[in-house]
Amino acid sequence: MAFEQVNSVLVADIGSAHTRLLLIDLVEGQYRLVAASRARTTAAPPLGRASLGLEDAAQRMTAQIGRKLVSSDPDQLFLMPESGGHGVDEFLATGSAGRPMRVLLVGLTPEISLASGRRALSGSYVTVTDVLSPDDTRSEEEQINAILRGEPDLIVIVGGTDDGAESVLLALVDRVRDALALIGRGNVPAVLFAGNHRLRGQVKLMLEPYTSVFVARNVRPSLSDEQLFPAQLELALVYDDYRSRTAGGFAEVGRQSQVGVVPTSQGYISTVRYLNTLPRRRGIAGPLIVDVGSANSVIVAGVGGEPYYTIRTDLGIGEHFPSALAAVGPQRVMEWLPFETTPDALWDYAHNKALRPGTIPGTPEDLMIEQALARAIVRQLVTESRADWGVAPDGKLPAFDPIIGAGAILTEAQHPGICAMLLLDAIQPEGVTDLQIDPANLLSAAGVIAYLKPLITVQVLETGGLLRLGTAFSPTGQARYGRPAMHVQIQPDDGPTINHTVKGGEVWMAPVLPGVAARVTVRLRGGLSIGGKGRIRQRVIAGAAGIIFDARGRPLAMPRPRDRAARLTRWQAAMGGQEVAAALERAAASPMHSAPPPEENVYAVLS
Amino acid sequence: MPYYPDTRVVKGLARIVRERRLPPHAVPRATATPSGTPVEAVHVVLQGDVLRDYRIIDVADYFDTRDTARAAGWIEVGEGDHVTAGQPLAQRGRGRRARTLNAPASGIVVRLDGARIVLQVSETAVEVLAKIPGEITAVEPHAVQITGIGALIQCVWGNGGYAFATLRELPPDGFAGLSKLDTRISDYRNVVVLSPQPLTRGDLLVAQQQELAGVVAPSMPSNLREFALGLTFPVLLTEGFGHIQPTELIYRLLQSNMGRQAAFDAAVPDPWSPNRPEIMIPLPSGGTMPAAPSLHDRLTVGARVRLTRAPWQGLTGEVSELPETPQIVESGLRVPCARVRVSGGRVITAPLANLELFG
Repeated sequence: MAFEQVNSVLVADIGSAHTRLLLIDLVEGQYRLVAASRARTTAAPPLGRASLGLEDAAQRMTAQIGRKLVSSDPDQLFLMPESGGHGVDEFLATGSAGRPMRVLLVGLTPEISLASGRRALSGSYVTVTDVLSPDDTRSEEEQINAILRGEPDLIVIVGGTDDGAESVLLALVDRVRDALALIGRGNVPAVLFAGNHRLRGQVKLMLEPYTSVFVARNVRPSLSDEQLFPAQLELALVYDDYRSRTAGGFAEVGRQSQVGVVPTSQGYISTVRYLNTLPRRRGIAGPLIVDVGSANSVIVAGVGGEPYYTIRTDLGIGEHFPSALAAVGPQRVMEWLPFETTPDALWDYAHNKALRPGTIPGTPEDLMIEQALARAIVRQLVTESRADWGVAPDGKLPAFDPIIGAGAILTEAQHPGICAMLLLDAIQPEGVTDLQIDPANLLSAAGVIAYLKPLITVQVLETGGLLRLGTAFSPTGQARYGRPAMHVQIQPDDGPTINHTVKGGEVWMAPVLPGVAARVTVRLRGGLSIGGKGRIRQRVIAGAAGIIFDARGRPLAMPRPRDRAARLTRWQAAMGGQEVAAALERAAASPMHSAPPPEENVYAVLS
Repeated sequence: MPYYPDTRVVKGLARIVRERRLPPHAVPRATATPSGTPVEAVHVVLQGDVLRDYRIIDVADYFDTRDTARAAGWIEVGEGDHVTAGQPLAQRGRGRRARTLNAPASGIVVRLDGARIVLQVSETAVEVLAKIPGEITAVEPHAVQITGIGALIQCVWGNGGYAFATLRELPPDGFAGLSKLDTRISDYRNVVVLSPQPLTRGDLLVAQQQELAGVVAPSMPSNLREFALGLTFPVLLTEGFGHIQPTELIYRLLQSNMGRQAAFDAAVPDPWSPNRPEIMIPLPSGGTMPAAPSLHDRLTVGARVRLTRAPWQGLTGEVSELPETPQIVESGLRVPCARVRVSGGRVITAPLANLELFG
C-alpha cells in the first residue's frame, strides 16, 4: 500500500530486553496513538526468533482493544491491510537488540573526513574496530591482516571533498579490495561509500565483485560543509541488512516492514530534527531525549536547530550493566543509595544482571541500585555531550525543553514522581523545564514514520502520545540547607490556592491533579535565581507528577555520606508518596544490601 | 496472555542434541566422522587448521625485477595449494644458476595477484571434542551433530573449561578437609566436586592444588571471575555471583547422580550464543528415546518454574495463576506477574520476567 493512503500503522521496537508495539490510527481525522503493549524480546537463544515476542505483544494489544492483529498466514506476521476494524495498513520496525555492528572506518584526514565519518556513525549502534588512512604507518600486509582480524561487519569509506582528492582515496579502496578478495567464506563485510562523489562509479566497480556496496552523498562535500543525514539514512539500510544476516529472526521482521529494521536511535534523531522546527520561546534550546536501555544508551539533543547525539553501546542496565558500572565507577552509583553497600556487592549485582538481563528488580534495594546506575549513565552521557553542545565542562547546560526520558528504567518507576526525580537528578536542568516520559517508545516510532508520512509524526506528537510528568522549577545557585529557599504560590483555575515554602536542599511535588492549569508564583531566597530573576510567574499545566519545585541547588549538592541515607530517603519520599517511603525505610533498616561474604579460612592461603 | 519466559534446562532424563563446530576461520583437515558413529565425550569429532594471518610475497621484488609479468611466470604454486615452510614458491632460471623463493611459513596459497603470492599462514591445528557421549546424527564440512541421552543441568556461569569426569560430593569438612589430603593417594584427584556452599578463592586454590577435574558450586564472588577464567579445570556456577545458596531441585538431581561420570562443559555465557554452561550426565534410557527439552514453551498455569531474583531467588514452584493485570511486587514496581505455589504450599506473586522454565 502506498504510504500516503495509510490510515493505521503498527510500529515495533525490538530492544535487547523488551519488544514494544504501538498502534497509530486515524481518529476523528487525526492520527493518534491508540494502543501500546510490551513483551519480552525473544531474539536471543534459545528462542532466537524476534517475531515470537512481537506476536506476544500483538496479542496483548488485541486483548486491550479487541482488534485482531496477528495473521494466520505463516508468511505474514500481521493482518494487512486493515479491514473491518481488524489488522493494520502498514507495519514498521525499529531495533536496538543484538550485537552492535563492527565497523572499519576508511578516510583521508583525521580532523576532516574521518571526523565526519565518526559523527555519521555515532547515530547508529556501531563499534569502530579500526581506522585506515594515508597516515597509517603499518605495512600493506599488516593493514590487510588488521582489517581481516577486526572481522568488520561494515567498511565505511569517506574522504575527498567532491571534485577533490582521488588517487589517495583510490589507493585505500584498493587496499580494502585486497582484503575483501581474501575473505573466501563467512561474513563478508558490506561497504558504505560516502566520499568524493566523482569516485562512486569507480568504487562500485572495484568492490561490487566482492560484496554489497551502499552509496550515500559525501559526508564532507567541501571543507566547510558537512552533511551527515544522507549517510545516516543509508546506514539505517545497512543496519537492516546486517540485522537480517545475524541470528535472532530479524530478517523475518524486516521483510514485513517497508523500511526494514531501522536503528531505534535513528528514530530519535529524526524526531528531534522535527521537534527542532517547532517555534519555541527565546532562550530555550530544543528537546533532550535520553534513553537508557538494557544494552545501549542514547542521548539526543536539539541545540541551535541541529540534532546532536551520543550513543554508547557499552552502557546499559541489563546486558551491559558491568561495562556501565566500570565506565561510571561504583562510587557514582553508591552516592545515590540510601543504604550501606560495598563495591563488591555492586559488582556481584552487575554480573548477575548481565547473566539474566531481562529480569527486573525484585526488592526495593535492587530497584534503587538500577535507578542509581541509570542516573550515573545519563550523567555520563550529558558529560560526554557537553562539547557537542558547545558547553564547557563546568558550564551551564542549554535550557532544554522538554526533557524526555525513555527506556523502562526511566519510564516505569514506582511513581511518576520518581521518574521525574531520576531525570532531575541525572540531568540537573536549571530554570523551568517540562519533564516527559515515553513509555511506549513513541518518539523513535514517530521519527521513522517521518521518513514516509511526516503528517503522522506531527499529529501523533501533538495529540499527546507522551506522558507529561510536569513542570519543574529548578533555581540556579545554592541555598543553605533547611532554610526557606522557594516561596511557592499555586493558583489553580479550579480549587483553592496552595502556599508552600520549600527549604534549601529539599524537593517538593505539589499535589495538583494532572491536567489542571495553574498560575505559579515562585519567590526565591538565599541567593537562588531562575534566569537571573528572584521572582518568577508562570502559567503551567500539572502533569502526572504534579508541579515540581527543586530547591536542592545547581549544581546539585550531594549529601555528605553521614546524611546520605536520611536525605535520599526524604527526596524519594517527597517524590514517590507514602508507599515508596515505606519501602525505603524497610531497605534502610537492613544493614547491608547483600549477605556478608564467607570468611576466608586458614586453608585458603596455600601459596 | 502469551508469554515466553527464559528456559534453563534441568532434566533428569532427556535426548540431548548438540552441534560441534570448527572455529569460523578454521579449514577442515580430514573427513569428519560419519553419521551413525557412536562417540565418547572425549573423542575428536572435527579437526582443522586455524588460518589467520596473510603474508604477501612479492616475487618481482624478491628477484629484483620490474617485469611483473615475467616474474608471475616464475611462480610454481597455484591458488589453493597447501605449502610447507621452505617449499619453493617460485624459481628463476634453471640448473646451477637457478634461484628459488621459498615459503616463509606453512599455509595455503589463497591468491595469486600478478607477481604477488598471498599466503595464509597456518597458525594452529584445532581439534573439536564431542563433549557428550552419544551418536553422530548429522555431518557438515565444518560441523557435526551429536545426540546423547542423559540428565542435563544448565548452569548460569562457566569459566570456559571442560572435563569428562566423575562427580563427587565434597568431604563433610568441605574444601578445608580436602586441603589436608595427600594428592598422590587422594580419591578426589581427577574428579569434579559438588560444593553446596559458595566458593572462595581458597576453595579454588585447594581445587587446583588437589588436581581436581572441576568444581560445581552455587555461586562465588564476582571478583573471582578473572581468577576462575585462568584456571584449566571447569568451574560451573548454578546460581550466579555473590553469596547465593543452591536451588534445592538442582542439587537434589546432582546428588542423585553422585559417582557417575558426566560431561562438565563450562562454556562462558554469551547472551547471543546458543551454548550455555551445562552438565550432561549420560544415563541409560531403557531402550526408549526420551524427548528433547522443550525450549519454545509459553508460560502456562501448571508450569514448573524457577524464581531467579531476590527475594525469591532459588525457589522453585508451580504456576497457579496468571493474573490479567499487572501486580505490585516487593520492589514497588507494577509489572505482569504470575502466582507461584512454592514448597510448603505458600503462594507468592513474582514478576514474569523473573521466572525460568526447566525445559
